[in-house]
Amino acid sequence: MEIQREALAKTLNEMRSKGFDYLKFITAVEYPDRLQIIYMFANLKTAETLSVELNLKKTDADLWVDSIIKEFPSANWYEREISEMFGITIKGRSAKRLLLENWNGTDPPLRKSFVWGKEYKKVE
Amino acid sequence: MPMTRINVGPVHPSTHGVLHFVVDLDGDTIHHIETHVGFLHRGVEKLCETRMYMQIPSYMEKLDYLAPLAWDDLYVNTVEKALGLEVKETAKYARMILLEFQRIASHLVFLGTLSNDMGQMFTTFMWSFRERDSILRFLEDVSGGRMFYVNIRLTGLNRKLPPDFKERAYALTDSLETKIRGYREMMESNPVFAERTRGVGRITSRQAIEYGVSGHVLRASGIEYDIRKSNPYYEYSKVKFRVCTETAGDAFARYKVRYNEIFESISIIRQALDMMPDDNNVEGMPIKLISPQAKPDIVINNSEMPRGEGIIYLVPDKQRPYRIYFRSGTYTNIAMLEHICKGIKYADFFAILGSMDLVAADIDK
Repeated sequence: MEIQREALAKTLNEMRSKGFDYLKFITAVEYPDRLQIIYMFANLKTAETLSVELNLKKTDADLWVDSIIKEFPSANWYEREISEMFGITIKGRSAKRLLLENWNGTDPPLRKSFVWGKEYKKVE
Repeated sequence: MPMTRINVGPVHPSTHGVLHFVVDLDGDTIHHIETHVGFLHRGVEKLCETRMYMQIPSYMEKLDYLAPLAWDDLYVNTVEKALGLEVKETAKYARMILLEFQRIASHLVFLGTLSNDMGQMFTTFMWSFRERDSILRFLEDVSGGRMFYVNIRLTGLNRKLPPDFKERAYALTDSLETKIRGYREMMESNPVFAERTRGVGRITSRQAIEYGVSGHVLRASGIEYDIRKSNPYYEYSKVKFRVCTETAGDAFARYKVRYNEIFESISIIRQALDMMPDDNNVEGMPIKLISPQAKPDIVINNSEMPRGEGIIYLVPDKQRPYRIYFRSGTYTNIAMLEHICKGIKYADFFAILGSMDLVAADIDK
């Protein structure tokens, strides 16, 4: 199901009340015109899954989304991953440390604009 | 008392790979743990975007090097779905049998290394590696590779099964069952092992869901969730098996789940061997750079791997992935560590780490 960024927290709470309380993964896909974040939830009792998709414009000012750690603590590492790999700002979380440690983080590796073979400096 | 900081890893015998933990200790009690991963990050997802579909399986096998077939099979099965291909009937059973043998081999490494970490020096370790070796020898004869098989092809396997496949598989299950039954006494009647694992690293069922843990860690916390049962692939719906669960949620429960799962796997193998047609029609499509064109629909495929639920999210292009995402069970299991290790004794940290059964390459990708 596709939702707007503003409706994220409300949708998650609704889903939780329907039994979709297990977060399977969060990932992102870069399409030519937009960046899509996918939240995959499951109801472990009925084994149903539900994906929530959120589309962002590919401008620096628009590449942000609210953190869902409070609702789903398991989102922690997935948010770190998409933030580092796609350059999406996750608002409302404190952890700044990158998963890849020495990556400079300015040129997100999973974006299509990533240049192969370019040398990157280590973060001190 | 001043706080002591200890670095566990990046190279440490108990991390079974390149992992780094910064542990802050208050006396002997852990105050805080910071997990550092990424030492083995190869950028597989990005790499896959530059390769044709059937160039990728050999990368898949290196994700979890203790159970290479699991990722290889999940990937090829995902591509089959994207391309709209049907797996041959006999090949479905053959894949199930190989996957279950792979699961047992992987669980045996777990049993051996866990008992080793818990101070039971080498006996169970040597036994479990002896049994694992008999499985690897069998898988080598079937596939041609000892550690990395790369024998799953579109719609089937790389070649016909050996003529004595069924007899050997039956004989192997018999010998495994007898020998692994003997481990129980070695593990459970050992007071050191029981003492160091019972009540250690307890995860409640609520925590397990909140923190999204997967595989045996989830089942050890009392949640009956197994993809082979809840979302059966291949012919898993036709075989009878029990989803092994425990309620304690501690390191001992995680060991127990794994131990019991070995016998369920043996039972699945026997049932699959009984049901498998005798035509040996398992040969899949030979590897060609240009495969049939993929349909434009997104494919989400999952399977129950030895280390938890593996999921592939594939946005297909015609001949190569446009974007592919791999979710492994170990990724969420390791994120859990920081939360359950607060306030425990330092020595217990290794019991928890061992019972999680992490593979660093599977976390970093």
